[in-house]
Amino acid sequence: MERHQLERTAAIYAHLRGALAIPAGGLFVLAALGNEQVGPFRHDWVFLACLAALGGAYALIARAYRRHYGRVSPTAEQQLRSGAALVLAVTVVLGGSLLLRSRAGWSLDLPVNAIPVTFALVMLAAYAIGGALRPHHGIVYGTLFVAGALPVWHGEDPSNAGLVMCGAAVIVCGVLDHLAFARTFGPREQPALDA
Amino acid sequence: MPELEGRASSRRSMPELDRLVHEPGRLAILTLLSSVADADFLFLQRATGLTKGNLSSHLSKLEEAGLVRIDKRFVRKKPQTTVTISRLGRERTARHWEQLEALRDQAVSASQASQSARRSAASSRVRPA
Repeated sequence: MERHQLERTAAIYAHLRGALAIPAGGLFVLAALGNEQVGPFRHDWVFLACLAALGGAYALIARAYRRHYGRVSPTAEQQLRSGAALVLAVTVVLGGSLLLRSRAGWSLDLPVNAIPVTFALVMLAAYAIGGALRPHHGIVYGTLFVAGALPVWHGEDPSNAGLVMCGAAVIVCGVLDHLAFARTFGPREQPALDA
Repeated sequence: MPELEGRASSRRSMPELDRLVHEPGRLAILTLLSSVADADFLFLQRATGLTKGNLSSHLSKLEEAGLVRIDKRFVRKKPQTTVTISRLGRERTARHWEQLEALRDQAVSASQASQSARRSAASSRVRPA
């Protein structure tokens, strides 16, 4: 029994409920489809209905996690850190995207897809700071970073393609996170600490 | 005999372990709770691998000793048990881990000292007269 491992268990619970990432990743894809006004997404009500469906799916999955794996409340310090990390993440993604490629005068205007580049860095940092970084995060978000950083994104604004790539990465990582989560919290045949 | 006296004195210098906290199931429960604000019964059961009966028994002992607080309520007609570690529980858990780490460091130093003593004894036997 390792102290550090036990203390990280709560962090694993918070960060690796990966099934929640499926509707979250779907939100990225929905945003891209809505921006492009593809097919039925020309109509606002379709977009809003899909948004509601994703929200409903998120709530149902969260309830399923609570029902099957229990509930944990973070400490005030953890909540403050999460809030600060979220603010920093939004700043980095927005600011970084504008810096790498935008119409702003101070932009570097590189032929890269800025959203996947900044998003990948932020996600890796979030998992690392939360103490839940796994090899598959490095592989998935590393691939996302490389795909975004390749200097092939000439021409029109590739943000929507970037959103789809981010959504796919979030969903893939979510599935792998859930498998890791189930291994940590799944039922054991021989409880290790049963007295 | 100097060897026995050495062992007796090192036993005297060993810290008195907290028997309530030292039990592996209870130590795991307290360590988990010390990293969160609170947790429910199901999370503790999943995270420790204890059976319901064992977990209940450990939590009762910890509550009697004032190391945890247990809040039982009904949420939408379903029983919900939430456990929070107390300040005393947090202090005793941290102290216990420090004692275990000190013991481990003592054991590692003793083992290294004995290995180097054996090595120097072996090399002095090999040296020609």
